[in-house]
Amino acid sequence: MSETNDLIIFDDVSKFYGEVLGVNRISLSIPPGITTLVGPNGSGKTTLMNLMTGLVQPSSGHISVMGLTPGDVAEFFRNVGYCTQFDFFPRGLNGWEFIFDSLMLHGMDEVDAFGLTTEALQRVRLGDAAGRKIAGYSKGMRQKIRLAQAIAHRPRVLVLDEPLNGLDPMARAESIALFEELGRQGMHLLISSHILDEVDRISDRVVLITGGYLVAQGNIQQVRQEVRDKPMQVLIRCDRPELLASRMFAVDHCVEARVHADGKGVFLRTGDVDQFYSMLNGIAAEGLVKIDAVAPADDDANAIYQYLIGSDGSAS
Amino acid sequence: MNQTTSSFRKRVMQQPWDLWWIQALRLTRIEVKRNLFSWRASWIYFLAFIPTLIILIHVAVGRRLQLSMDDDTEILAGIIQFYYIRLGIFFGCLGIFSRLIRGEMIERSLHFYFLSPVRREVILLAKFAAGSISALLLFGSAILADFILTYTVFGATGHDYIFNGPGLGQLEAYLMITVLACLGYGAVFLLLSLIFKNPTPAAMIVMGWEAINPIAPSLLQKISVASYLRHLMPVNVPAEGIFALLTVQTEAESVWTATLGLLVLIVLVLVYSCYRIRTFEIRYTTE
Amino acid sequence: MSVHKNTYRAYTGPVTPLWMRVFVLARYGFAEAWSSKITITLFTLSLLPVIVFLVGIYLANNPIAQSLILKNSHRMLTVDASFFLGALQMQSWIALVLTAWITPRLISFDLADNALPILLSHPISRFGYLFGKFIAIFGSLSVVTWVPCLLLFVYQCYASTQPWAAANLSIAAGMFVGAIIWIGFLSILGLALSSWVKWRVVATAVIFGAVFVPAGVGAIVNAVLRTQWGLLLNIPVTMSVLWQRLLGAPEFLRRGSSLPTTAIVAVLVLACLLCLAMLNARIRAREVVRG
Repeated sequence: MSETNDLIIFDDVSKFYGEVLGVNRISLSIPPGITTLVGPNGSGKTTLMNLMTGLVQPSSGHISVMGLTPGDVAEFFRNVGYCTQFDFFPRGLNGWEFIFDSLMLHGMDEVDAFGLTTEALQRVRLGDAAGRKIAGYSKGMRQKIRLAQAIAHRPRVLVLDEPLNGLDPMARAESIALFEELGRQGMHLLISSHILDEVDRISDRVVLITGGYLVAQGNIQQVRQEVRDKPMQVLIRCDRPELLASRMFAVDHCVEARVHADGKGVFLRTGDVDQFYSMLNGIAAEGLVKIDAVAPADDDANAIYQYLIGSDGSAS
Repeated sequence: MNQTTSSFRKRVMQQPWDLWWIQALRLTRIEVKRNLFSWRASWIYFLAFIPTLIILIHVAVGRRLQLSMDDDTEILAGIIQFYYIRLGIFFGCLGIFSRLIRGEMIERSLHFYFLSPVRREVILLAKFAAGSISALLLFGSAILADFILTYTVFGATGHDYIFNGPGLGQLEAYLMITVLACLGYGAVFLLLSLIFKNPTPAAMIVMGWEAINPIAPSLLQKISVASYLRHLMPVNVPAEGIFALLTVQTEAESVWTATLGLLVLIVLVLVYSCYRIRTFEIRYTTE
Repeated sequence: MSVHKNTYRAYTGPVTPLWMRVFVLARYGFAEAWSSKITITLFTLSLLPVIVFLVGIYLANNPIAQSLILKNSHRMLTVDASFFLGALQMQSWIALVLTAWITPRLISFDLADNALPILLSHPISRFGYLFGKFIAIFGSLSVVTWVPCLLLFVYQCYASTQPWAAANLSIAAGMFVGAIIWIGFLSILGLALSSWVKWRVVATAVIFGAVFVPAGVGAIVNAVLRTQWGLLLNIPVTMSVLWQRLLGAPEFLRRGSSLPTTAIVAVLVLACLLCLAMLNARIRAREVVRG
């Protein structure tokens, strides 16, 4: 398989709903692994996912998923599973029928469809409720059955639009573990979520989008590094956090210092990372403070979201 | 030329027809079940079987009346021409076929079909087949029941009229008309539901068009379902007032020409529907 | 002891009387109804017949214009009860089309979006909610029915060279009452069917179907059971008969002549009661959760 056949590619894609902008000139190249799509409400995340799966047509540009386009329906949807955020189902079906029917449409025989239905329901822990009508499901169960339907045919690419919505903490943890496992197995996962701190832990990369425009993309640490104009926060575990804080705070590039709640560390925010580390090395060499660990404290998706998009959803 | 033909044939043969057939069968089965066996379908049962109920009352009380078989034959033809074709099948098909795509859009469940590995044309044709089967089962059985009940009241004379007279031929024609009406209106309403968010106003224009079509120029008469069906009616219905407009036959056509003409119209509408559905977008928020 | 500083104060200012809040819903109903381009188009189309009738009145009252334009015609154009019956019938059909378009917008959107529990959690009753919607549809239909018809009547009074108005006031009264009955019936029917079928697309079709299908069923009843009572199911015919009698126009519908007025009124009342029962069953503060 060629390298491009492993990628999800958006090539200068735009989508306009009449005069309303959906997304504008998006170019992305997403390798296998878990990718988080981050952005405020109405930023174009769902439009991007709908474009990718052919539910809406791009106004311009080209999209390919592992070398396939949604026009090649049979091959495309054999490889792609999409768990949408639309909380509606075909009328009158129970959980089992919902998944079984969709597998039969793949052209499977009944034995295979039976096996895969059972497997998918077990993966989302919904086996007991499979015989009940979906109309009677709770919001969390409906989310789970959608996820089960998306993974039932064992796709290579899984697109998940707000997959943690409506799930209780236990179910969220189970779903995240499932995504992590699927990602480890080499599946492409594209997840949009507002519960950033949970998804962030398992993401390999992040795509930030706001107002239909791509703001940043790549490995979370790389994106953070590129946001040079924003002060970076570092947690330093040490025996004398107050002393370290006072020494660091004396220089211009250090803009904030906050002692950790347990008193065994300090959060320092700096505008010049290179100078910061050079000064920290000096302090360590002096022996005044015993430094146990140094780690970036704001290179998660949440922090990047705050920096690049802001709490009001407007890109800064 | 030969090379082009053989390459086209090769391309056609390479298509996964078996898979499409299995997918279409599965989709059709799901849709037929939903069309026929839900409380929501009860109004179509009402539309189809209300004349049957009235004829049943007629049978129950008819033995006390002086009835003429000629009159009842004309009445049955009138019921089929005025009620079933103009109202029952018209509104029934509007309900059934508009729901197939637009209804799924309204209920926000169409994306499940579009996200399955089934060509959109296969989805559309399978849904059309399901709608047609549902409409035919309902209206076909209703008309069959109407026919049997109408002549039951006449006992041996009725039996003789059916099996030794023109009865069976008329029944065959009525069923043929039902089939063509269901397919014709079905194809038109399926297309309207693809084009318009609310296909009903357009359907009402179609209803008006069907009514005034007999006085339209002969070329325009060809773009009408009812105009073809009029030529297939085995019994002339005397009509007065505005109803006379609905029975006018302006352009004489043979049964086969009318049937083929309508089938060509249906195929053309379906081909255009297949073209429309390829670029059909899921936009639930605008519904 | 901790001290809590309570700064929150519930609203204690003046409020409008309960009956006035109905008009808030009516106002939003009007806005919703007239926000559609199709409503505006239908309204514009509804003015065309009025213009034609207006020209008719002008010609009827202007002998010179009449002799110039209708010189070869043997028929004299007269403005009488039949003339206004024609105007009322034409406008009433347009009112049916408007009802099928507007009422689903007023009710079905609320039901489809499960907005009723939110609306009814305000200090407004179910009756108030429905009455507000009723005002919106009734007002909209008035604009295309009795208002233009009475304006035509006023113009005829003004244009007539003879003392015409006093002798023909019963036509105006008949038109007004006939139009009020029709649009009142249409409003209740439209609201009831829209509340029952929930989806706007289907509701539009059902409103048309509710007028035309019973007419067909009535015709079958008449033909099969050899009776005239099936005509009572034919709303267009029964209303035409009622309007003829209200305006004092000659009854040109031979088929309807046998229908007693009380039977027609009874059918309309029964239909309205059925619609009210449907509304009572559906307009409730409950959310329907479905898959």
